[in-house]
Amino acid sequence: MQPRRFIFWTLAPAFGLLAALALISIAGALYFSVMDRSLRYPDYDFVGLYNFERLFGDRRFLNALKISALWEIITVAGSLLVAVLLSVFLFENTRSATARNLICLAFLAPVLLPRVAAAFIWRFLYSPTLGLINYVCELVGLGQVEFLASPSLALFSVAAVDIWQWGLFFTVILLKLLETLPKEPIEAAQLDNARTWEIHAYVTLPMLRAPIISLALVKAVESLRSFDLIFVMTGGGPGTATETLDLYAYQMGINLGGRVSYASAMSILLLLITIVIFTLVWRGIRKWAA
Amino acid sequence: MGRLISRTLSRTLLALLLLVALAPILWTILSAFKKLRDIVTPVPKFVFTPTLENFATILLNPSIRDGLYNSVVVVGVSVFVGALLGVPAAFGLARLPARAKGEMQFFVLSLRFMPPVAIAIPFIVIYLDLGIYDTLLGLILVYLVTTVSTVIWLSVPAFERVPREIEEAAAMEGCSLGEIFLRFSLPIAAPSLFGALVFTFVLVWNELLLALTLAAENGTLPVVAASITSLGKEVPWGVINAATVILVLPPLVFIGLLMGFINRMVAPGRK
Amino acid sequence: MANIKCTNIRKSYGSVTVIEDLNLDIPDHEFVVFLGPSGCGKSTMLRMIAGLEEISGGTVEIGERDVTRLPPGARGVAMVFQSYALYPHMSVYDNIAFGLRRQKVAETEIAARVKQVSGLLGLEQLLERKPRNLSGGQQQRVAMARAMIKTPKLFLFDEPLSNLDAKLREKLRTEIRRIHLDLKTTTIFVTHDQLEAMTIADRIVLMKAGAIEQQGTPSEIFDRPATRFVADFIGSPAMNFRDCTVANRGEVVELSSGSLHLEVPAADFEPLADGTIVEVGLRPSKMDVAGDGAHNAITGRVVLVENMGSEGQVVVDVDGRDMSLVTKAFRSLSSGSPVTFAIDADSIHLFSKRTGRSLRKAA
Repeated sequence: MQPRRFIFWTLAPAFGLLAALALISIAGALYFSVMDRSLRYPDYDFVGLYNFERLFGDRRFLNALKISALWEIITVAGSLLVAVLLSVFLFENTRSATARNLICLAFLAPVLLPRVAAAFIWRFLYSPTLGLINYVCELVGLGQVEFLASPSLALFSVAAVDIWQWGLFFTVILLKLLETLPKEPIEAAQLDNARTWEIHAYVTLPMLRAPIISLALVKAVESLRSFDLIFVMTGGGPGTATETLDLYAYQMGINLGGRVSYASAMSILLLLITIVIFTLVWRGIRKWAA
Repeated sequence: MGRLISRTLSRTLLALLLLVALAPILWTILSAFKKLRDIVTPVPKFVFTPTLENFATILLNPSIRDGLYNSVVVVGVSVFVGALLGVPAAFGLARLPARAKGEMQFFVLSLRFMPPVAIAIPFIVIYLDLGIYDTLLGLILVYLVTTVSTVIWLSVPAFERVPREIEEAAAMEGCSLGEIFLRFSLPIAAPSLFGALVFTFVLVWNELLLALTLAAENGTLPVVAASITSLGKEVPWGVINAATVILVLPPLVFIGLLMGFINRMVAPGRK
Repeated sequence: MANIKCTNIRKSYGSVTVIEDLNLDIPDHEFVVFLGPSGCGKSTMLRMIAGLEEISGGTVEIGERDVTRLPPGARGVAMVFQSYALYPHMSVYDNIAFGLRRQKVAETEIAARVKQVSGLLGLEQLLERKPRNLSGGQQQRVAMARAMIKTPKLFLFDEPLSNLDAKLREKLRTEIRRIHLDLKTTTIFVTHDQLEAMTIADRIVLMKAGAIEQQGTPSEIFDRPATRFVADFIGSPAMNFRDCTVANRGEVVELSSGSLHLEVPAADFEPLADGTIVEVGLRPSKMDVAGDGAHNAITGRVVLVENMGSEGQVVVDVDGRDMSLVTKAFRSLSSGSPVTFAIDADSIHLFSKRTGRSLRKAA
């Protein structure tokens, strides 16, 4: 039938291209991960699972794994928390549509910034000697804070930027979703003498459970790609305090001598972990939200 | 009285939130017009003699100009091709049976799960072997994964919102599926599709890792900006700020569009 | 202009068959209504005739031409959708003219025909507007104009009035009927509203679970329902049903249930054994208040009276169960008072408990 042929031809080029590129990169990574290829030397050999064995003994890799997990948790939880609190606050405290729209516009600005630009902006703000934030810190008597140079603080300082971009963005989305909710359940709760926070905790937010979960998933996926932010702000430092897996893989595979095979093994592991976790989470959530 | 206090409190909090959202950006823009000695001060200066020096440095710097050119070419071509392939695919996908559609959509989404390093590293070697390492073509090819998949992902709902009965009415008048796509579905879905394209544009315009690894010498604007830090001995904060402003401008132009896009996406489906 | 012939139509989605072996003939010029509860397959049937839905088995002929495998545009039919389905990016004029432009009709002729059709439907002032600036009723008129201008062999209406308010619905119903009297184009109209079907149809095709339950003129369907389902589906308030025991008394058959005793001529019905339980159906509008001695009288106590203007619906308690009737004499009744009413033997329906089919002999 002719319509079927048309549909086939709309899908074929796009999916052909995507499948080919995905296949090339995964097959390539798999292939290199069992070799000992490095950019410095032209020839290479098959080494089996040697790269993977070494990875599990590599303390810097294990550290990167930990930092990545920490990064995911902080940024996902932080963004959602900020979004939920602020959207409810805005929903309750802004009445005029124009004011609300202007605030939404302001909240959308950060997420549109290139990560590189956001990184520079905040590096400038965080700067110990000339940064605006440290100036405020000194005014309130905290003294100079080494936001990016202190190993215990650096990850949180970078995560704050991430939350600044995504938390405010999600605030706008949640606010818009709150606006689309039917008024009746809220009014019924008001008639039941529920307090404002109770209305949101027991009525509106549970109604938005499905979209909030999707936002969490989106954020979890996007948090995996925070290379740009961390790379520009700290470069993984101080030491390896903010070195996530993709940063370490980059350092290994490109920056330091181009140990392509070792980095490939790492990215294969990264891919595996991601797929397993996301498939589990995806299924669990589907069951739970259904 | 209590009401007045709580109102003032919520007003103050609102103002504070706006400050947190916008002050970093505004401060950067302000500082882009400062001489270095106005920046390196113990007390932040709000009043100073503005200068265009920083922008002059940036715009006269050949590597920035090249970066801008590369960005425009790479982003332009990859978004254009992404739309060319992705929009029809989304139309086709929207008409598949629910199950096949769900699975293909999940495949598209799962591409986003792939860590960029996992794409970058094999492609470095492959590109070196093919001789297209450090070329715009190579970068465009890799960006197509992002643009095609993002365009598909965001356009499927746009086509699903085109009322089925309108497409059927067109079919009743003898239109083939191709004509229905071009003359009805496409124009009706156009506003949402445009939003999808803008979102895709912002995504690749902002991309750093792939550009850094696959086209270090022919870098795009983010790559060049990221490398400015090491221009001289002293950190040239004024120049960095000016570069940031230039980098930020194109995506910010689309802020209103993004807002409209969100409004449409959260709006209840077909009536 | 054309007659429609559907032979052995089957429709399945994967392993689920929703319509099986359906046969239907529609003569030229007829206005046919597909009626039935939602999910009965009436819209699927319409969409298969339109070509929007693939036909899994059987054939559809329009004007002696087999169209089973033809795309919708090649069948010479026009359709009006429930949601109107106007092209939102085109003006009213372009919406109406689109089909003719596709047929490469000369622009001057298109203009003339759009003028004629829009005059017929009162759309002259709206031609330059976009659909979103029209009211629901205006949009529906544009949709009808768009269908009419192609002078199709067959008009299809898929619940076209259900998005409109009651008053407008009535007005457009009359209008559709009037246009059909003018053009005489064969028409199939789908609805789930039995009142709409009764008022508009030459013939009703009543469907249930993918099969035709009964077809006939509105009065045939109303006065001689073939099954209990049809009897229950048609008419408002709904028909009263009672299980009664049969006793043959020569010329008449006596039906009893508690205090209820009715007699019907034995010759009108299929032979029934004494003691058989049958379901008796009594239409509220066929009953009226009567004196004690009336034939087929029923006595009960008034539960409530609903004033419907010129008539009233009276709910009566008969042996502990409700029975409704519609009468003009409702004003003399009040809840709690006893009442006697009667029904003409010709309006008593008997249905088999086992098959649900009417036990009345075909006339």
